[in-house]
Amino acid sequence: MLGLIGKALISASFIFSLLAAIVYFLSARKEDNRLYVLGNTLFALKTVFITVASVILVFLLVQHQFQYYYVFNYSSIDMPLKYLISAFYGGQEGSFMLWIAISGFIGLGLMKWTKAPYKAPVLFFMTFTQVFLISMIVGWDFGDLRIGASPFRTLAYEMPNAPFLQSNPDFIPTDGKGLNDLLKSPWMMIHPPMLFVGFAMMTVPFCFAMAALWKGKYVDWVKPALPWTLMANVMLLTAIFLGGYWAYVTLSFGGYWAWDPVENASLVPWLIGAAGIHAMVITNKSGRNQKTAILFAILSYIAIVYETFLTRSGVLSDSSVHSFVDLGLFNQLLIFMATMIILGLGMFVARLKDFPKASKNKNQGFFSGEFMTFMGSMLLFLLGFVIVTGTSSPILGKLFVSNPTPPDISFYNNWTMPIVMIMAVFTVLGQMVFWKRQNVDSLSMELIVPVILAAVATMASIYFAQTRHIYYILYIFVGWFALFGNGKVLYSHIKKDPKRTGGVITHLGFAILLLGIIASSAFNDILIDERVAAYNQRVEEGGVIDDNGVPVTEPVNFLELYLNQPKVIGNKYIATYEGYDLTQISRPGEQSYRIKLQPIDAQESESIVVNPVVYPMRPGANATSINWSVDPDVSTGWAKDIFIYVAGSSYVDRRNKLFEKDLLSRGVAQSEIGMDHDHDGDGVPDHGVGSDAHRANEEAVNDSLNTQTLSFTLNEHLAVGGFTFHFNEFIYPSPEELPDSTVIGVRADITVGREGGTDSQTIQPLFVLVNKENSTWAYSPPIEIPDWGLTFSFEQVKPESSQIEIQVKGLSEKYEPEWILLVAENKPFISVVWLGTFLLMGGMSISIFRRWAEVKKYEKIAAS
Amino acid sequence: MNIKLLLGVIAIVGFTSLMMYNFGESLSQYSDFEMASESSGAHVVGDWVKEEPYGFSRESKQFSFYMKDEKGNIRQVVYPKPKPNNFEEAERLVVIGSVKKVQINGENKEIFYASQMLMKCPSKYNEVNPNEIPGMPAAENS
Repeated sequence: MLGLIGKALISASFIFSLLAAIVYFLSARKEDNRLYVLGNTLFALKTVFITVASVILVFLLVQHQFQYYYVFNYSSIDMPLKYLISAFYGGQEGSFMLWIAISGFIGLGLMKWTKAPYKAPVLFFMTFTQVFLISMIVGWDFGDLRIGASPFRTLAYEMPNAPFLQSNPDFIPTDGKGLNDLLKSPWMMIHPPMLFVGFAMMTVPFCFAMAALWKGKYVDWVKPALPWTLMANVMLLTAIFLGGYWAYVTLSFGGYWAWDPVENASLVPWLIGAAGIHAMVITNKSGRNQKTAILFAILSYIAIVYETFLTRSGVLSDSSVHSFVDLGLFNQLLIFMATMIILGLGMFVARLKDFPKASKNKNQGFFSGEFMTFMGSMLLFLLGFVIVTGTSSPILGKLFVSNPTPPDISFYNNWTMPIVMIMAVFTVLGQMVFWKRQNVDSLSMELIVPVILAAVATMASIYFAQTRHIYYILYIFVGWFALFGNGKVLYSHIKKDPKRTGGVITHLGFAILLLGIIASSAFNDILIDERVAAYNQRVEEGGVIDDNGVPVTEPVNFLELYLNQPKVIGNKYIATYEGYDLTQISRPGEQSYRIKLQPIDAQESESIVVNPVVYPMRPGANATSINWSVDPDVSTGWAKDIFIYVAGSSYVDRRNKLFEKDLLSRGVAQSEIGMDHDHDGDGVPDHGVGSDAHRANEEAVNDSLNTQTLSFTLNEHLAVGGFTFHFNEFIYPSPEELPDSTVIGVRADITVGREGGTDSQTIQPLFVLVNKENSTWAYSPPIEIPDWGLTFSFEQVKPESSQIEIQVKGLSEKYEPEWILLVAENKPFISVVWLGTFLLMGGMSISIFRRWAEVKKYEKIAAS
Repeated sequence: MNIKLLLGVIAIVGFTSLMMYNFGESLSQYSDFEMASESSGAHVVGDWVKEEPYGFSRESKQFSFYMKDEKGNIRQVVYPKPKPNNFEEAERLVVIGSVKKVQINGENKEIFYASQMLMKCPSKYNEVNPNEIPGMPAAENS
C-alpha cells in the first residue's frame, strides 16, 4: 500500500517537474512573471512529493518491509536505526532520490535569491535536469519499455520467474540482505549526503551559465553563481575527504586514495568546478574571460553527469571495485548525458560569435592577476582532463586494446604530479600579483624570502628523510615554496583585510595538502622485524625458492608475533602481542587484539596499545567458509600515524578448522561430538553408575589422547598447553542431582580459557563417592569442550587442603603459543594531508561569505 | 594565422597526443590463463574454485588457491601476502601477475604467480540470488 503511494508520488513529481519545466520555459521566453510564479508552485509541489516519497522509503526500511526489493536488498533486521535510515541512499534508486530531493531544496533557494533576468531560465534548466533524474526512478512500464527503476518495486516484480513467488505472491522474506559490514561506518553515513549536496549545487553554475547564454548577458550571472559554486566545491571536497578518511581507517590497503574510478568520479567535478571558480573570479573582477567562465561552468556539470553515467551504467563494473551494476538504466543515462552535452556545448558554440570582443588592456601581461588566475583555471582543467581520460579506460581504452583494464596507477601519478607542481608555483605567483600590481623586479624581490626558506626547508627534509630521488627533492622544494609563498601573502594580508583571505588560505591549504601527499606517499615505512628483514634481503638476492621451486620475488610486509614475546620492529618499536578480547555484541565473534608498542628509546610508560580488529562478516545463507574482515587501528599523531592490522591469527585458524569440521558433519546424521554433548546436558545416572565397562572404555580412549592431570587449589590459576585454568569454587549439588547412596558429591567450578584470549568457558565437573553394598567407588562423568577438543574429568578431592585433581585429555605438550600475523606501517604526515584539506574547505568557506556579501551589496546598489 | 593561436593548438595537440600515447601504454588487457603464459603483468579474471584447497601458509608466506578463468581453465594461484580481505565474499577475482611453469613430482604444472589481487565484491550492488532469501518456503527451495 505504502509502496503504491510512494510510486504514485514519484510519478506525480515526474509529471510536475515536466510541467514546471514547460512553464518555466514559456516564462523565460515571454518574460512572464505570472508563469514564473506558477512554475515555482509546480516545482515546490514536486519537491514536496519527492520528499514525502523519501520519507515513505525510510519508513519502509525502518519497518523491515522486506517484500520491497530495495528494503530487502539494502537492510536487515539486525541493523541499528542509524544504518536503516542511511540505507535509504545505500542503493542506486535511493541515492537518485536523495539527489533529487536535495536539488529540490536548492531550487527553492534559487527562487528566493535569483533575480531577473536569470531567474526563470535558471529555474528552467534546474527543472530540466530534474526531469531526467526523476525519470531514473519513476518505474513506468510500457510493454517491454521500462522507464526508470522504482525504489518501491516489490520482490515479486523484480523476480517474476521465481517459483516461490508465483505460488505465494504475498511472501515476505524474514530478513534482508543487509549492509556490507565495511560500510557500517559513521563516515559512510554522511559521505553520500555530502556528495549529493555537492552534485546538486554544482547544477547551479550550469543553470546560470546556460541562462546567461540564453539571455545573452555574459557577465552578471557570475556574481550570484559564485557562492553556489564555492559551496558546491566545499561540499564535494568534504565528501571526498570523508571517503578518503573512511578508506584509510577501514580498508587494509593503508591509503586514502587509490585512483579508483568511483573516487575519481567525485574528484573530476571538483577540479573542473575549481577551474570554473577561477574563471568566474576573473570575469567578476574585470569582465574578461567570459567564454571560459561559461564553458567551465557548463563542463563542471557535464563532468558530474558523465561520471554518473560511468559509475551507474555498469560500464565500469569491471574496472572499479565498487561501481554499481546496470539497473537497466544504461540507455536513459546515455540520453541524459548526450542531452546535457549537446545542449550545453551546442548553446555555447551557437553563441560564440555573440560574445563581446576582448578589449586590449594594459593590465594583461604575464604578471597580471588575470593571467595567473587564468593559468590556474587551465591547469585545474587539464588535471581534470587527465583524470577523466584515465577513468574512461573502459571506453577510451578500446582504441588500444580490445578488452582494456584500468590504466596503471603510474599513469595517474606521472601525469598529475607535474601538473600539480606547476600549479603550486603558479599559486604563489598568482597570489602575489593578484593583490598588488607587480613587475618583474618587484615580484623577484617578493620571491626572495620564500625561495630561501623553501631551500632551507628542502635541505632539512632531504636530511631527515634520507632521500636522493631527484623528483622527490623537486616536489618537496615546490611544496615548501608554495607554503612559504602563500604564507607570506597571508601574513601581509591577514591584518589588513581578514574577510578577503579566503583565496589565499585556500591556496595555502593546497600547498600543505601537497606537502602532506608527498610526505605520506613517499616515506611510508613498513615496520618489520629483523627476521623478516633478513628474509626480504634473501628474496632480493634471489635466494628464496618456494615449495614449487619458483624463486620468490616479492618481499613480505607482515611479521609473526607470539603471545607475550616482544619483537623489535622497524628499529623503532618493541611490539608485544598481549592477547585478544572476544566480543559478541555488535559483530559476534569479533576479536580485538591488544598490541603494545613501546618506542625503542623511551620508557615503558610511553608505550601505546593499539587494538586492530578481526571480525566475521555477516554470513550468506550458503556460506562455505567464514569470511573474515579486518578493521585496522590507526594511532594518529601529528608527525606520523601508526597503521596496524592483523592479517591472521591462531584464533582465526582454529575457528576456520572448526567451521570446516562442522560443515563436514552437518547433514551426516549426528556427529559423535554432538551425541556426547547432549548427554552431558541431561544428567548423570543414565550411564550406569561407575560401571567397569565404562571405565575401561574411557581408559582406551585415554591412551590415544594426551592425558594430563591438573592439580590445583581453590583460586589457583594454571597455564598448560596454551590454555588457562582457574579454579573458582566448589559447588555442592542438590541431592536430586546425585545418584543414590552418595557419600560425597561435589562440583568444581573451573574457568577454562585460551592463553591471551577472553573467550573463556566454564565447566563444572562432578565428583561423587558412592557407597553401595559395602563397596565404595568414585564416579566422575567426563565433560567436554568440543570447540577446543578437551575432555575433563574430576579425579580427586583432598578436603583438608581443598586441593583437586582434574584430568584433561587433548592437551598437547608441544602446543604452539598463540600467534598473529601483523602488518604495521609508519605513515608520516597523514595529518598534514587532512590539515591541508581543512584549510581548503575553510578558505573556500570564507570566500563564500565574501562573495555572498558582494551579491547583497550589488543588489543594494542596483535597487537604489 | 595568428601565431598565438597556432602555438596554442600545437601545445594542446602535443599534450593530448603524448598523454593518450602514455595512457595507451599504461593499459593492459584482461586475458585468461592460456594467454597469460606469454606475458608478464597479465590481468586474469575468474572465479575462486571453492572445492580445491586454499589458504595461507606461514612457512612459505604465501596464500594459494585455485581459480577458474572465463574460458574454464583452472590454475593454482599463488599470492605472496596473507589472505586478502573479503576474499571469500568476492564474486569475481582479478589476479595480476604471470604464469610460471614448474615441475612437481615429475609432472609439468602451470602456476599463476600474482603480485596483485582485486576482489570484486557483490556487497550491495548486486542482483539477488533467489536461493538466498531468508524465510523462503523450504519446499520450493529445491
